Amino acid sequence: MPHKWAMVIDLDRCTGCEACVVACHAENNIATAGPDQAARGRAKHWIRVERSWEGEFPNARVRFQPVLCQQCDDAPCEPVCPTYASYHTPEGLNAQVYNRCIGTRFCANACPYTVRFLNFYNPQWDKPLNLQLNPDVSVRSVGIMEKCTFCVQRIRAAEIQAEGEKRELKDGEFNPACVQSCAPKAMVFGDLNDPNSEVSRLARSGRSTKLLAELGTKPNVTYLQQDSWQNGKNG
Amino acid sequence: MKALYALYSDPDTAQRAVNALKSSGGSLGITERQIVVVTAEPFDGYDFSDEHSQTRIFTIASFAAILGAILGYWLTRFTQLSYPLPTGGMPIVTSWTNGIIIYEMTMLGAVVGAVITLLVTARLPHFGESLSDPAIWQGKILVGVADPPDRSRPELEKHFRLAGPAEIKSTS
Amino acid sequence: MAKTAEQIRGDLLRPVFESGAGYWLGVGIAGSMVLAGVFAFSYQVYHGLGVWGLNWPVFWAFDITNFVFWIGISHAGTLISAILRLANAGWRRPVTRCAEAITVFALSIGAIIPICHLGRPWLFYWLVPYPNERHIWPNFRSPLLWDFFAILTYLTGSTIFLFLPIIPDAAAARDLTRGWRKKLYAVLSLGWQGNPKQWHRLESAMHIMAIAIIPVAVSVHTIVSWDFAMTPVPMWHSTIFGPYFVTGAIFSGVAALILAMAFLRKFLHLEEYLEPIHFDNLGKLLLTMSLLWFYFTFAERLTTWYGNDVSEMNVFWTSIRQNFAPLFWTMVVCNLIIPFPLLAIKKLRTITGTCIASATIVIGMWIERFLIIVPALEHKFLPYAWGTYRPTWVEDTLMVAGFGMMGLLYLLFSKLVPMISMWEMEAGVRKAPLVRRPAVRFEPGGATAKARVADPEPFATDVSR
Repeated sequence: MPHKWAMVIDLDRCTGCEACVVACHAENNIATAGPDQAARGRAKHWIRVERSWEGEFPNARVRFQPVLCQQCDDAPCEPVCPTYASYHTPEGLNAQVYNRCIGTRFCANACPYTVRFLNFYNPQWDKPLNLQLNPDVSVRSVGIMEKCTFCVQRIRAAEIQAEGEKRELKDGEFNPACVQSCAPKAMVFGDLNDPNSEVSRLARSGRSTKLLAELGTKPNVTYLQQDSWQNGKNG
Repeated sequence: MKALYALYSDPDTAQRAVNALKSSGGSLGITERQIVVVTAEPFDGYDFSDEHSQTRIFTIASFAAILGAILGYWLTRFTQLSYPLPTGGMPIVTSWTNGIIIYEMTMLGAVVGAVITLLVTARLPHFGESLSDPAIWQGKILVGVADPPDRSRPELEKHFRLAGPAEIKSTS
Repeated sequence: MAKTAEQIRGDLLRPVFESGAGYWLGVGIAGSMVLAGVFAFSYQVYHGLGVWGLNWPVFWAFDITNFVFWIGISHAGTLISAILRLANAGWRRPVTRCAEAITVFALSIGAIIPICHLGRPWLFYWLVPYPNERHIWPNFRSPLLWDFFAILTYLTGSTIFLFLPIIPDAAAARDLTRGWRKKLYAVLSLGWQGNPKQWHRLESAMHIMAIAIIPVAVSVHTIVSWDFAMTPVPMWHSTIFGPYFVTGAIFSGVAALILAMAFLRKFLHLEEYLEPIHFDNLGKLLLTMSLLWFYFTFAERLTTWYGNDVSEMNVFWTSIRQNFAPLFWTMVVCNLIIPFPLLAIKKLRTITGTCIASATIVIGMWIERFLIIVPALEHKFLPYAWGTYRPTWVEDTLMVAGFGMMGLLYLLFSKLVPMISMWEMEAGVRKAPLVRRPAVRFEPGGATAKARVADPEPFATDVSR
């Protein structure tokens, strides 16, 4: 049975600490944009924590929602790429093949979650941060689109390891960097095709929703929240 | 090339000249192929022009369009099946979107077929010598005989003059 | 008033062979604009796409605006040339070549822009389906591939459509010039003689081209509109985009044609060929397109407003009332308010009137393309991902270079061939015979035929009634 990678994010646990964002930057060789470029809207955060609040102090209420590539089953970013740089893998991931990307940016426009990013310049790391780069992940050059891959390098490493040891992958054996770094354990990652995995169990929860589900993208990231945002009463 | 020709100012006298050549040409030792008409604009409606209007270009262009459609169908289907990469939950061979490519290739086929037929049947490009006279660009119509037998030249000149006022010239 | 063939050729060939200082000044200005664009593009390739104003989430802006704009302008020639040819409208004759030239050049510029806007432009050829070592073919499901095929077909078709009627005019120029010009036109005319067979084949080929190019033109701008409509972006994902864009394209194309005609009329002294009646007729056409454009715009906006979808209404209000309101209402003024009286009132539908209307329409249609692209990208589904856009000098220069390229190509073309089709003008001046004489067959018979003349009235004087 092939794997189908999915994630569950519990919004009632998320504290908005953004450790996931930092971990993602470190794991995936994402350069920081710098203050000027960030002011121009060029910051790249493969996972970002969206804050929304309502009410006035002292009755203000904040919600944090980490948004990352939803690895949609019917991803709108895939059919529009002219070079198949964005396509669907047999394990349910939306792959971004850097070598094939010529930078038409069609995928970024088509993505309703706006989770795709362009390398506007060649990324640079001031010394000695260049020593921190992850050798398992390529550094994308100018003009190439990139996005969250569910840390596919970790997925592949674990799969190869398990294959070499002639065994099945265990649930929770490895995690993407964001899941690994989540202090309140709001994020869970695993195989949706395994009915006993924690991801499958949580995805069946009564609190589960999907982001922009009405668009028909069939995202593989499930959000858990007690109340719907507009109708909720208490925090 | 050797030729004997007359320049007429209006198409009806030119038509008479062509008629005369056709009626008496056999007796003067010329074939139909040797009768040449050269103009600076198309003269639709006159026999000397319309007798050449039969063409298979429409049929050929249609066939070329069908060829284009087949090429488009093969290109999209074959490439999609040879390296099948699923995208967006769509099938590997997406017939509706392939139809767009097939449509464009059909039209391209029709266009290219029409042009190739034009070039072949109009014998273009033709860089050898061909009978012409700069006077045609002032509106004159050239009616002439290519390679006329010398003994028939006076007869031919008479026919040219009988048709109407003309400037007779010859090239060698 | 009717001109002789000699006069027609003289008038139309003179601008080709003679140039004044004004011409070279124009070439200089247009050429500088193009050079500036080349510099800006090199700068962009060297430093990266960051030198543009694009950001997250506005990944398309001036680049695709200009792309759609130029492809839209290219619909001028098709409508005038092909449709009027098929409808046998005589007033098209002086207009066809300048229209077809606009099509080919605007299309060429429009075809270059997608190459220049890539993040890695040196790899643009990966869109071409050819067997390669990468073990991959292009993705035919992508609207960009449809763009590639559609523009390829349209460019091939319209270049041929432009070139075929040039062949006889190039032959005239060949016979009326000397030296290097003669050699040039000898090649360009493909050795054209002008015998009836060639004329008929040429006219048949042009007939096929006219029939084929109209559906191709419709498909091209429909496919360009599907670059937007095939995404779920709010206010892009609309079924009306296909017809909306085609209408807008014809609209801006006719306006560009009127401007080009006025320009040629003044600077090439073609007052007796491009007459006020031509501008009047095109002005009526432009009025129709203006109303059609308004109809589509109104239909699209009304259904959006009535449907009240949250994401779509964000985009809707930002255009109508908020950030983009000045641009939006300028567009309405330029596309409808100003042109309507100028084109509807006969007294105002003069050459000057149609030109003012056309100029505002060209500006208005550029704004329309911009307003379709940028407000929607600035306000997609998730408010956290909203953004703003401002162009940089690189994008401004590239846009100016596009206009410069158009001017340059047009100016150079006007020196290569006469801008009005000479043989078509002559054919229009001469009337066809009203009475067909019975056909005479060739008599291969020898001396026994005794010069029997089959024509019953060989020397009649009143032959053409």
